[in-house]
Order: sequence, then C-alpha cells, then structure tokens
Amino acid sequence: MKDRTKRLARRTMAAGMTASAAIAIAAIGGWHALAQTAAKPGPFTDAQAQAGQAAYAQNCAKCHDSGEAPPLTGAGFLNVWASRSTHDLFARVKDTMPVDNPGSLSNETVVPIIAWLLKNNGIAAGTTAFTPTTAVAINTIAPGEAPQQAAQAGGGRRRAGGADAASATGGPLSADAELRRGNIVFRTGITVEGTAAHYTPITEEMMVHPPAADWLMHYGNYAGWSHSPLKQITPKNVQNLQLRWVWSMDDGERQQITPLVHDGVMFVSNNITNRVQALNAKTGDLIWENTLGPRLAGQQNATRTMALYGNRLFYPATDANLYALDARTGKIDWKIKFSSYGNDKIGGLMVADGKIIAGLGRCDERALADRCFIAAYDVNDGHQIWKFSTVAYSGEPGGDSWGTLTNDQRTGADAWIPGTYDPKLGLTYWGTGQAKSGARGIGDQLFSNAVVALDVKTGKLKWYHQTAPDENLDLDEVFEKVLVDQGEQKTLLSAGKKGILWKLDRATGKFLDYVPAVFQNVFVNIDRVTGRGTYRPDILTSKPGDTRPSCPSPAGGKNWPASSYVPESDLIILPLDQICVASGSMAGNYEAPASDGYIARMSAYRARDLKPVWTFQQRAPFLTSAMTTAGGVGFVGDWDRTFRAFDLKTGKTLWSTRLGTTAQGYPTTFSVDGEQFVAVPTGYNGGSPEVRPVTLLAFERNRPYSGHAVYVFALPKKQH
Amino acid sequence: MVLAVCTTSSIPAFAAENYQTNIGPTPLDGSNRANVLGRGSVLATLDGTKFTLHGTFSGLATPATEAHLCMGSVMGGTGPAIYDVTVTQAQSGQVSGTVTLTPEQVAALKAGKIYLLLDSQKAPKGNLWGWFQPAHKTVGPNVPEYGHWYIPNILKDDNTARKKPQG
Repeated sequence: MKDRTKRLARRTMAAGMTASAAIAIAAIGGWHALAQTAAKPGPFTDAQAQAGQAAYAQNCAKCHDSGEAPPLTGAGFLNVWASRSTHDLFARVKDTMPVDNPGSLSNETVVPIIAWLLKNNGIAAGTTAFTPTTAVAINTIAPGEAPQQAAQAGGGRRRAGGADAASATGGPLSADAELRRGNIVFRTGITVEGTAAHYTPITEEMMVHPPAADWLMHYGNYAGWSHSPLKQITPKNVQNLQLRWVWSMDDGERQQITPLVHDGVMFVSNNITNRVQALNAKTGDLIWENTLGPRLAGQQNATRTMALYGNRLFYPATDANLYALDARTGKIDWKIKFSSYGNDKIGGLMVADGKIIAGLGRCDERALADRCFIAAYDVNDGHQIWKFSTVAYSGEPGGDSWGTLTNDQRTGADAWIPGTYDPKLGLTYWGTGQAKSGARGIGDQLFSNAVVALDVKTGKLKWYHQTAPDENLDLDEVFEKVLVDQGEQKTLLSAGKKGILWKLDRATGKFLDYVPAVFQNVFVNIDRVTGRGTYRPDILTSKPGDTRPSCPSPAGGKNWPASSYVPESDLIILPLDQICVASGSMAGNYEAPASDGYIARMSAYRARDLKPVWTFQQRAPFLTSAMTTAGGVGFVGDWDRTFRAFDLKTGKTLWSTRLGTTAQGYPTTFSVDGEQFVAVPTGYNGGSPEVRPVTLLAFERNRPYSGHAVYVFALPKKQH
Repeated sequence: MVLAVCTTSSIPAFAAENYQTNIGPTPLDGSNRANVLGRGSVLATLDGTKFTLHGTFSGLATPATEAHLCMGSVMGGTGPAIYDVTVTQAQSGQVSGTVTLTPEQVAALKAGKIYLLLDSQKAPKGNLWGWFQPAHKTVGPNVPEYGHWYIPNILKDDNTARKKPQG
C-alpha cells in the first residue's frame, strides 16, 4: 500500500468536486472564494521554476502525471492548498515524497519543485528566490477564483422539506432546494429516521454458521470464502438476471464497499461523507441514514467493510473514529477514536469471538513513534481488550529484525484488510503490508508482509509466516487469508501483490506449497521447504533513482479484490492483474510479458494441490472480488463497467451487463422472501489496481468519474 | 522447454526453436501516452545461433523509425540494444531481421531477457516492446483455458521442484 505516499495526492482528490461545481458552491452563503485575480507575484524566480520543471519530471511525474496520483494543478490542487502557505507545501513534499523513499529529497531539489508547482498553477514568478522557510499564503498569490474547502455544517436536520421561497429572493435555501439545484448539502447526524422492523440480533452461532439468506461479514464467513450456499441462480437460468433496483451513492473518494445483509436489511456506507445507510434489501427503499462525517477530510481510506454483531453495526469512519450504531435505527451507541495519530486509518475490520477486531493502517508518522497494530475491542462499549503491534520494537520478539533502526524509524506493516477466523483453533489470521522504513538489507523487518496468527482471546502471537521479508517495492502480502480444511489438515491460502498463491498449515504456520498465478520477476528463487523468496540481486542493491523494473507493479498481481473459495469443487478463484512498472529513469506502467495486452486474468486452482483448473484473460482489470455461490455461478466486475456471471466449472461467461461506472468493491448475494439477489457496488478511485490501468487504457476505454452506487439483480419472479 | 539433443552427425545438434511475442506500449505515464500507441505480434525462430524474426505492427501515433533487439537484465526489464532489425517507416507495417546470437545472447533468449524495441518519431526511445517467449498457445479475451496455461517463470528449478504438496 502506498498510503503515506499518496497523502498529498489524495488531499487533492479529497476536494472531490469539479471546479465548476465548487464555484457554484462558493456562490452560496457561507462559502468564500479566493482573492480575485491576485496579480501579486509569487515568492520564487522564473529560473527556480524552470529548474523545478525538470526536478518535477524526475521525481514527481511518474505518479502525478500517470494517473497513479492526481495532477498537482488546477482547482483540485488549489482547493487543498489555497488556505495554506508555501512553507506548508514545501514541508509536505519534503517530508513525504517521493513515494518509495520519503524524506530523501534535498532542499535543493524540493525548492525548485515548489517553484514549479506554484508557476504551473498560474502564479507569476517574481524577483525573490524561494527558500525552505518562505511562508506566503497561497491564496494571496493564486490567480483567478477558486473555492476553498467546505466547512462542515453541523446539526441533525431531517432531509424532509419543500422548496424554499427564499430561493427566488436570494435568501437561504432549504436542504431540498439546494439539492435540486445540484448543490452539495452536508449535514451530520440522523439525516433520515427509520427503524428496521423484524431485525433479530446476530449471535456468535450465526457468525460461525451464517444463515444462507444473509451476508453477515466482509467475506461472507469467518473462513474468508466469499461464497454463499444459495443456489437459486444457476448456470441454466443466470442469463435471465434482471436489475431489481439501484441505489445512488455519494461520489468521490475510495468507494470499495461490501453490502452487508441481515434479515432483509442491507447496510452500505459512502466513503466521502461517512454516510451510513440501511436499505430494504428487497426493494431498495431507504430505512435510515446517519451522516457521520466528516466530508472531504482528505487523506481518506477505503471503508471496505463494516461489521455486524448483536443489534449493532460497526463502522470505521475515515477519520479513524470507530462507531457502533444501532443497526435497527442508525443511532450511535458509542464511538472511540481508534488512533490518536492524525493520519492513521482503520484498515480491516471484523467481529470474531464476540469482539471487534480491527487493523490500523497509514501508521507511519515516524517522529511520533506511530506504529500499526491489530486490536480487539468490546462490542458493548468499545474498550480495548488486546493489542498486537505489527512492528516489532527493540527488545520485543522480532525486534532484532530491523537492524540498527531506532523504534521511531520502524514503520509500515499496515493491517489494511480484514482478517479471518478459525473458531476451533481460536486463532484469527491477518496479513500485513510492506515495511516503510525505506531501508533494505537490514533484516526481515518483522512483522511486515507476513501472515500473523493471533489468539483471539488474548491477541498473543501464535505463529507468523513472512512471505516477503525485507520488502519495500510496495508489494504487500496483506490480503485475505482463506481457510480451507483438507481432511485433517487445516490450511490457509493467500495471494499477495506478487501474484503468488501461498499455502500454509494454519495450525502451525508451516509453509506447504505455492504457485505463481501471474508472471513475477521480483523473486528469482523460492525455497520449497521454507517458502522464503530470494530477491533479484539488482533489487537488493538498488538505490533511489535506479531503474528497477518490477513485475507485478504495486497494482499487484493480486490486490484487494478478494479471491473466493468454492467448497463444492475445492476451487480457489483469484482475480489477478498483469501490469509491470519501471522506476527510476524509465518510469511508468506497462503490460507484463506474455500477457498479450490482457491486463486482467481470472484463474481457478484446486486448493488441495494448487493444480491449475481454468483461467481466462481480458483487457480491463477486475475491480471486484470474486464471489461464488453453491448454484455453480460466480460473479466478478471490472474497470470497464462490466459485471459478469461465470460458470464455476468452466470459467465461461454466462451473463454480463454494463453498469454506470467501474464495478468496484465486494459483490454479495442474499435472499429475501425466497428470492436470491446479487448486489454489486460501483465506484472509482480504487487505489493502484484501479488507477494504474487508467494510463494503459487511455484512448481506448472511458468511464465516468461519477456513479457510485449499489446495483441489485435477481431472476424474474416466475423463474425460480 | 525440453530440448531434443541429437548425437548423430547427420542431424543438427539442436532442433529449431520457435518464439513469439506480442509487442505493446512501453512504460506509460500521463505525459507520453498519446505518443505511445499501437500493438503488434512477432514470431521468431532460433536455429543454432541464427535468430530470425518477422512480425507486424499497427496503430502507431507516428511512423516507426527504428527497431532493435535488446537484452534486458531480467525478463520484463530493460537493457542495451544488441542488434538493429528492419522496420517499415510507417504507422503500421512489418518488422523483420536475421541475426547471429552469441552464446550469452542465446542463454538470455532462453531466459526470456531478449526483447524487441520499436521506436517511432514521437517515441524515439521506444514505442512498442515485447519479450520473446517460447512458442505457446494464445487465446482471445474471455476464452477459458484449462489444465495448463502459459505464464513465464524465472524461478530457479520451479517446474522440476514442483512435485507433490508437502504436509
């Protein structure tokens, strides 16, 4: 994960509105615009800007001009930076860039980059040279008119209300009137009141054996299968699927949700607003809505899933507040601040053994000794029960694996994907991301890029297996840990960004087997006994700026779109990517060797022996998990708006449809009143696997940058 | 790939080996994307040390200028040009050539490190490229393959070491 990495970029994206929309907002009372056409020259010289253009090309363009991170020009940039000073901008670039070695740029490099950024945003050069201490408010030198970021409006006003006559007279508008004009209205609190009738509490027994009609958790079950026992939809009738309803959602930021369903109620969340909604899963009618906020917080994180237990719905807000809502009404039962560090985000979230278990990501504020962790909380009041730090400090087990780095230099190992759980073993399994120390060759940097098995009651480490030691290519091994029993043997299957499917004994952590599911050129050897990989020599010796090709790219041979396990046929099905990246002097993304231009691959392997069973490829990458059913049908969606059903036995496409924008998130299936439904979210800004292909697909594929929604399909009523 | 080794003097020591590559855009970023368009496919044969290639390309934004065989440091990685080959000076056309590879270059070819690089007027440092792979079956989009499919592999002894699952 390139989290820290993208802060500046995501802040830009966090503006989340076009210039025209923002200007429209600025015209509404309570908003104020930048100084009009400030002719005041900037605190930099033209020579600095000219030098900065080259420095930008060398150090910044590979992300900010590639689609990996948003461009640093225009309204989006000014939305974020207008209210800040040139020194703030300097400090941000100096401290957090470049992506693969933050803090490594000298003042002599960053100073001209800032000059170029200012000039490239229309600010005129002057006669005073820019220095690291130059602090001029950017809104005093930025030309033209651009909006500032929205302030949040408080209150809990209900969404009801008619058109306001005041609109005709220039007075304040009602909420509805503003919405009808296309203006963004943002009020927090219970914005639609309602109660889910007939909602029954979710018990631990239900979590261990989920009712077939429900989709109670991120992967559908504790074992991480993303599989449903429902079988009404089959290869024979799936071609008759029809859209039953669609629910539009707030556009902007990282929408990658899992529609959870219990007792006919679907729960969804809107990433940009932290708006949580309960819908009638059969009809799509809104039951309640709680707009928790904040909106446009910047540096946001995908809220991939919520969690259900008892009568509560747990929501990981993008400002690292963990909320417990009453699932029946949406009202807040309690909330806790998950981390006291400003940039930290809640990553994975689940409930196991009656506890909320969550992971922390973006916990890399070195100077503050911030470090990532996985922790358990009481479902009733949110008090912390245990905590496992994924970065080992000096004197702790694994603490000698970071060489001579001081504790505050040990960062990374983000737990940004939900774990899985084996109730019989009493272990919860989590993955961690790369180390972000920037150091290589110092040791294994535990517990980065590893599987950790934690005692669910105490949080104590039972075992770990590190699939990619000493990793800093942004090739995280954090993704879902799929638990499969093969007779008496209890196995764990997982694939990381290298696209290698690993198999472990989940009782002991012993390495069992692996299979490369896509081309990779990062490891030149993998020990068949230990599973330990050996990196390419030039990776081990590379320095910042060196040309260092990596296949896969940080988009990942496998990324957050989850795999699915099919118990009926013992298949594990993986959505995969085939993109490489160059770094250093030849930056950019390119198609993997022998991919023939097919960026995406979907492959099925027999879990027992990792034997390849079927595969197919296509141009547009998959941006949803694979979701499978006992009816013999699987589902997956892609960047190019196609949502398809495929035959689990053959991999053949059985049905497909086009959605409003990229199918992105985690499809689920559920039943209400005897009917099976399939839900798929749409969204954009899906991180590396969504952003990197933007450049590759330019001039041939387009999709709208709007259209966050959830679509629900079912068979015609007479066909089941 | 298993090579058939012959010992009689009347038969060549090595049977000719077939290779192929799909040439696609070189590394892309927002600044060069408009100039790095097109696609092509190339077939090649290694007969002893004689390497012969022929292929087609189309869809370039500007006419092709040069084409080279290059030897990367790793499959999927870059390296120096080792031979020039002939290319049609147009936005679509053909690429062809015959060169004699050194033993080191033959080994690189077998390791998947040899790639074709095609330049164009607005992408003078590379417009299309592709690493030569042993001949293998290819299928169209969304067409399933069963049981075995081609994925290049640079892991040492991976295929031979792959016996039975442990545990």
